[in-house]
Amino acid sequence: MVDGFRPKTLQEALEIRLKTDCLPIAGGTDLMVQKARGFALKPDFDKPLLFIGHLPELNKISIEKDQIHIGAGVLLTDLLNSDKIPEIFKEAVCLMASPPSRNLASVGGNICNASPAGDTLPHLYAVDTQLVLKSAKGERKVPIDQFITGPKRTDLVKDELLTKIIIPNRIFGVNYYRKVGQRKGMSLTKAAFQGMADIEQGKLTDVRIAFGSVAPTIVRSREIEKTMIGKSVEEIKEEIPEILAKYAPLIRPIDDARSSAAYRKKVCLRLLEDFLRKMSKEK
Amino acid sequence: MKIEFILNNEPQTIDVHPARRLLDILREDFKLTSVKEGCGEGECGACVVLMNGKAVNSCLVPAGNIVGKSIVTLESFKETKRYQMIESCFLEAGSVQCGFCTPGIVMATESLLSENPHPTDKEIKEALSGNLCRCTGYNMIFKGIHLAAERGQGLW
Amino acid sequence: MKDSISKPIQRVDGPAKISGEAKYLDDMHFENRLYAKTLRSERAKARIKSIRRPELPDGFFIVDKNDVPGVNRMRTVVSDHPIFAEDSVEYIGQPILLVVGPERETIYDILTHIVIDYEDIEPLVTLEDAEAKSTVFTDYHYDKGNPAKAFAEAATIIEDEFRTGYQEHVYLEPQGMAAEYRDGTMFVYGSMQCPFYAEGALTEALSWDAKQIRVIQTVTGGAFGGKEEFPSLTACQVAVASLKTKRPVILIYDRDEDIICSTKRHPSIVRYKAALNEENDVIALDIDALLDAGAYNGLSPVVLQRAIFSATGVYNFPHLNVRGRNFMTNKVPSGAYRGFGAPQTIFGTEMLMHNIAEKLDLDPLNYKMRHMLKRGDATCTGGQIRDIVKLPEIIDKVIAMSDYRKKYKSGEKYSGVGISLFLHGCGFTGNGEQMIKGKIILKKSGETVILKVSSTEMGQGAETVLRKIVAYSLDISLEQVKYESVDTGLIPDSGPTVASRTTMIVGGLLRQASLELKDRWDAAEDVEVSKSYKHPDFLEWDNDTFKGDAYPVYSWGANVVEVAIDPVTYEIDVKKIWAVYDVGMPIDETTLIGQMQGGIAQGIGWATIEVMETDHGRLLQKNLTDYKVPTSMDAPPIDCEFISQPYEFGPFGAKCAGELPFVGAPPAAAAAVSHALKIPITSIPLTPENLMEMDSHEN
Repeated sequence: MVDGFRPKTLQEALEIRLKTDCLPIAGGTDLMVQKARGFALKPDFDKPLLFIGHLPELNKISIEKDQIHIGAGVLLTDLLNSDKIPEIFKEAVCLMASPPSRNLASVGGNICNASPAGDTLPHLYAVDTQLVLKSAKGERKVPIDQFITGPKRTDLVKDELLTKIIIPNRIFGVNYYRKVGQRKGMSLTKAAFQGMADIEQGKLTDVRIAFGSVAPTIVRSREIEKTMIGKSVEEIKEEIPEILAKYAPLIRPIDDARSSAAYRKKVCLRLLEDFLRKMSKEK
Repeated sequence: MKIEFILNNEPQTIDVHPARRLLDILREDFKLTSVKEGCGEGECGACVVLMNGKAVNSCLVPAGNIVGKSIVTLESFKETKRYQMIESCFLEAGSVQCGFCTPGIVMATESLLSENPHPTDKEIKEALSGNLCRCTGYNMIFKGIHLAAERGQGLW
Repeated sequence: MKDSISKPIQRVDGPAKISGEAKYLDDMHFENRLYAKTLRSERAKARIKSIRRPELPDGFFIVDKNDVPGVNRMRTVVSDHPIFAEDSVEYIGQPILLVVGPERETIYDILTHIVIDYEDIEPLVTLEDAEAKSTVFTDYHYDKGNPAKAFAEAATIIEDEFRTGYQEHVYLEPQGMAAEYRDGTMFVYGSMQCPFYAEGALTEALSWDAKQIRVIQTVTGGAFGGKEEFPSLTACQVAVASLKTKRPVILIYDRDEDIICSTKRHPSIVRYKAALNEENDVIALDIDALLDAGAYNGLSPVVLQRAIFSATGVYNFPHLNVRGRNFMTNKVPSGAYRGFGAPQTIFGTEMLMHNIAEKLDLDPLNYKMRHMLKRGDATCTGGQIRDIVKLPEIIDKVIAMSDYRKKYKSGEKYSGVGISLFLHGCGFTGNGEQMIKGKIILKKSGETVILKVSSTEMGQGAETVLRKIVAYSLDISLEQVKYESVDTGLIPDSGPTVASRTTMIVGGLLRQASLELKDRWDAAEDVEVSKSYKHPDFLEWDNDTFKGDAYPVYSWGANVVEVAIDPVTYEIDVKKIWAVYDVGMPIDETTLIGQMQGGIAQGIGWATIEVMETDHGRLLQKNLTDYKVPTSMDAPPIDCEFISQPYEFGPFGAKCAGELPFVGAPPAAAAAVSHALKIPITSIPLTPENLMEMDSHEN
């Protein structure tokens, strides 16, 4: 049995994926920890590894008209160093893990790991990210909120690889991101809030709101966002209690080793309120 | 899996399981004991080495990912002028106590200064945020790095 | 004229550590060695009905209670911890047996195939349950004056209760020991603070004379008390394994294993009743301190002693009734950690005084200052404060450095400033130093002087400081002073490297010996001078009634902490810390400041982000992903200064320093948070979760 494959091209990788039940690995910062067995022991993977982090096809960032195309293998550090990536997304990325881990970890890995606490996810959900999945047989595009189906579960088919992440090439007028961690550096997320909005002539023309780490998957409601579009900032300010009440049942955190459900829920609603107040001060 | 890579400026070829940790390859196969294991889960930075010039947690790197890469540990870095500057500044500033975090911090410092020779205090803090130190409280480490950046004109 | 001894020199172990050449235990090569890994209990309390072992491949062994030639107990203050579990287990993580062999993968495989049949017994898992069931290991009491009368006549009685949690040391180098039986001697190597403690434990476990045992300290990557008594357990286990297998055996802990099973700081509940007179001075305190000792008592009695002897902090209360109890719970045993019981009671007392002042609408600092000890006052145990207490000057300085008064008055919500006043008793508690009778040897050979002590360098700078004391006293270069390898076969027992005693006690003996050696410097042959500890005869201590001088002298300090609390998330930002200390005389300013800053960082961690909870005896935070210590991003800037009141019997006037900085930071941080949110604080850690809940209850 082969322990691992190191294909030279994406095509070669997809052909291996078609023929063999293998585990794709890019940076390995999640997988190497999940399968770790202790001091001086190698992690125990029960399938051959398919190394994909080095594939050139997965490592580009490009602007295609009104879209930004990000290769799934692009490192978190490279997102931070790229002038093509919106600042508000970088705010989330620069708080992830630590610099030595960001020098290894890929954005595609964070998505496919599909942790409820995945730090790239609130922003990617908020901007209606499209994911490109390729197999030797073809290609499909899936919205991120359909790709991630539950905690650590995705729609990835056995012969597929995530190859590209497509986000819109635009900047919002109002940008707000907060990660509440266990401490200031190298921390998992207790609760995360992403809020973005556009306001024209005192009226809300676009708003995106997403919460991380407080439900099995990222919390976002296009229905609630729609009810806010077209309203004036004064109306929004008055409706803050109702908006909070609408989001409250969607925020369903748990108690765990890092935080309590009660705190996580309260802090999400407080961050939402803070964002709405900030937004309602704009013109 | 046959793995070809460059280690401390010398080409190497090894045949190991592709999931074998870079940390163990360095410590056990090449006896480079400057690289330490503090936690095995990428949460302490004691295992930090340079991979293509950038700080990485060697406990998280599988062998399959070092193909064609250049890995540098303190064993070769300590022969450089940059190291001499870091060493003398760390000694003056009191940046070392028990020393276990120190090799990882030296490599993280080199990674920082080679990319940003004049970091602000904020940038130093952020660059070091993946290296735990339990002895010093960090301020004397920041001071050592700051001194090295100040005095190391032309080195980085 | 010579430079002051405080002038910093380059630390002697610096270059080897910075270059990565320093060899810690796992970096060392042992020819023909076997690896060992421990099988640990998965139950908080159970009877072991049977252990099913798989067939062992050639060259692999299981080592357990049956292989211990001597006493199957780890020798310490109370030798109750089995080296290998017998018929029952009392905490999750308790060591049951070792699997030993030449290759780790196979060891891992064997471990996963050992099946233990447990009969569960209901465990005791909280301090409250232990109090209800009265599972008391140790019960200490002392009093002073006439507390009953004072309470009867009190104008006001105020009660309060304070809680503190676990703390894990997170020394960057995990625990580890190796043993090699050769030439009739058991050599034991490892990361440790107290080689003679390990030697003592080994004599009992092996039933051998100490002459057949040599314990050698390897370069130690951090300890903080976590490697004081705990390594004795591992030492006995690897020694027994080496005896059985007839090969060297090395055991290095995984990080999460280390977190789960190594000793921790004692969680505490400390209850106070304060009797106030008409002027609102506290004239009597009734203190009841409860410590959670975990499943075995170990050295907890000594922690309990320091907790109760430090319980009145820097204050002079004429009447006292003080009780301390260690309770058994079925959790990981608690043990030594920087501060050693004092942080728990000093936190309580500082917050008691702060909260009383707030209740009375008085300035907390002024209120505290009304009660401060002065020279000539009696200590809480009826000993004497013989030296000038520099607290007034210390307070003036820290106020000036921090602008405390102005910041305290500004009273903006979510911004806060807090001050703490604290002390630390120097050296061993009570008659401990007399029992140890630490000894040092200086040997002159040509132009070289070899220093033979059992003090261990673990990062705190002991080797640098002790060599400096000798070099300075003899007026020779540091290079001429060598530090003998810390090997029990080569050095006398100067006592353990604990209790902040190294500079003052061991350094004090070295200074005396150096001055004597100086007079004999010109002798033709080698000269050897040895000195043993002599307790100053003006000190008195009754260990039965706990009356007299619990400590020969104290170091003092004041901290100011400034915080900003995020109004949305309740996360605490420690903006800055100002610290002023009297440690008698800094022997090396850089080394000393390093200790102060490191101690403050650990104290702030314990007070804010280091959360360690248990559920039915199981640790919820058991790896570094979940148990968070401060990172560089969490490090507050610290301004640190010294005001010295030299101690006549300390080398160059030096007193104690290592634990003092830990003690002061948590109550100052808590006072700052209390000031910021205008709520009373009675427990740590101060997590955003707790603060949000407390703030919503008050408002």
